[in-house]
Amino acid sequence: MASGDTALWLHNKLGSTDDLWSGKTICSQLTQNKLQSIQACFHSLQPHVKVKLMLSFLHIPRRNVDQWKEDLEHILNMATHDTDQWVSMIGEILQTYPSTGSLNLELDNITTFSEILSDLNKVVKKCSAARMLPMECQFLNKTALVSATGPLPKAINHFTLKRKSKSAILRAELLQKSSEVASNKKNS
Amino acid sequence: VKLISDAGYQGEITSVSTACHQIEVFSRVLRTSITSVLESGEENLGKNLPEFTKMVCHGEHTYLYSQVLMHILSQEPKGGSNIRRLCQELQKSANERELDVTPITLALSGAAAYPRACQALSSMLSRNALNPADITILFRMYSEMNPPPVDLIRVPAFLELLIEALFKPNSRINPEHKSKYIFVLSYAASVTEMYKKGQRKNINRDELKPTTQALEKVEALCSKNKSSSELIGDVNTLFLNIKFPVIAYGVLRWVDYTVSDASYFKLNTDHTPLHLVLIDEIVTNHQLLHQQALDLLVRLFESSFEELDVLVRLELKKTLLDRMVHLFSRGFVIPVVTYIKNCLEKQDTDISLIRHFVTEVLDIIAPPYTPEFAQLFLPLLESKDITASIRSEDGTDPVSEFISTIIYFILHFQ
Repeated sequence: MASGDTALWLHNKLGSTDDLWSGKTICSQLTQNKLQSIQACFHSLQPHVKVKLMLSFLHIPRRNVDQWKEDLEHILNMATHDTDQWVSMIGEILQTYPSTGSLNLELDNITTFSEILSDLNKVVKKCSAARMLPMECQFLNKTALVSATGPLPKAINHFTLKRKSKSAILRAELLQKSSEVASNKKNS
Repeated sequence: VKLISDAGYQGEITSVSTACHQIEVFSRVLRTSITSVLESGEENLGKNLPEFTKMVCHGEHTYLYSQVLMHILSQEPKGGSNIRRLCQELQKSANERELDVTPITLALSGAAAYPRACQALSSMLSRNALNPADITILFRMYSEMNPPPVDLIRVPAFLELLIEALFKPNSRINPEHKSKYIFVLSYAASVTEMYKKGQRKNINRDELKPTTQALEKVEALCSKNKSSSELIGDVNTLFLNIKFPVIAYGVLRWVDYTVSDASYFKLNTDHTPLHLVLIDEIVTNHQLLHQQALDLLVRLFESSFEELDVLVRLELKKTLLDRMVHLFSRGFVIPVVTYIKNCLEKQDTDISLIRHFVTEVLDIIAPPYTPEFAQLFLPLLESKDITASIRSEDGTDPVSEFISTIIYFILHFQ
């Protein structure tokens, strides 16, 4: 496919600015040839098309990523030098993806990113007492919980508990009934 | 927009698409949002999240960028776990919007080092459904001597799917494979690992077997569709095993499905049906399940129960309030009282029910009270509609005693 046709195809597929999650839709039509043709027209694409194109890489089956690694890396490399900052940023983040399957977290050389990161690092430390526990904590046995996030903070005593709630009596009655039923079953 | 942002007025940039256009502006708005979410804490999470998630989920690029930034922040030993929670809330919200974020989640989780496990998880998470073939792969990998890291399967959405498969009434898991589902869930709940300089030094599986056995026992009980009276003999077993958080989570889900059945309260005429007593037991044992328990109780309390006689309906609601009082007595104070106070303000709840709550609470509490609690509870006592009938003229009733304690406190300590 000529590079002009490829550019037009990408524009038709990814040109809309209404749906910014549509990268995935081109995955099934990507081939090695097409990727090489994209390399030739990459510079002429609109920034949001470039961004969506790169994000589609995340949805390509792993065996294809392995096969097309060099072509994908070539496109990502071009993106890292792009003048549009979103394009270069997404290029940087995805740079390691074709070879390792992981995202690049070494982004200290990008000024905006590292500034925000260092500001937020301070906020995170300052707010460490917020105790918004990760969701999986609800599932974890005590030992696993303590090893994952440390012991739970002690709850504040908003009052003195004069006596237990009615539930305690109910619980005792139910247990009593339960053992009666269980022993009846045994005897019969 | 860039000028507004440069001048430091991130809060003024309210249009999401405007904020997302330039990475610099987006970064600053993101910084402002994360800061305010962290500073306002878990109580306000529900209020803050919609706007935050809307902005992050604007495009796949804004989502990726935010998750990468927050993933790095979540590695911080001090306070990083708060950010991990935010990352998960974002994933959840993206799933609810039917956006496929699984590749990003897995690319950040370190799953790439374990391609087979990664593939299995990815296929289940993307489809939001489990399947025996992928579960078998995980079961085999985690049964080996050198399994993948446990964190890989501690993905909330995946654990949710396992709970649904095991505890939803009439869920159809192939019995041949059920033990594998139970094993994978137990593994995620019970195994701990020790790391030194990024290297795993030790895997502790001591609690794996007891957790698996307990889960098998309770799952078998719950899946039999027994009626309350048939279950009475099993209460001891249920109480004993509910001590495992993962089982309590599953049982709470099972109770939710069971009591949400339209005919449940019509058929169970006991004053407090067995399934509601199970909620009490879960609340007693698991502080982290308090919010879920309250959510369920609120949903039931607000149901119309049109098929029930008016008086029976009122009694049932009092029974539900008793569960809330129990939740309150176990330390979930502010959320419970806030809910009741909102009921009063909205004027959509029978006043005798609120009176019932107030009376029950006054019956179990004694000073000293925290100002936060006193301030929240006081309006309920000051409402004549609620308390006039339970106050005596000589001021020796619990309502007057509470109020005079508060006045004494204000006069002497402020």
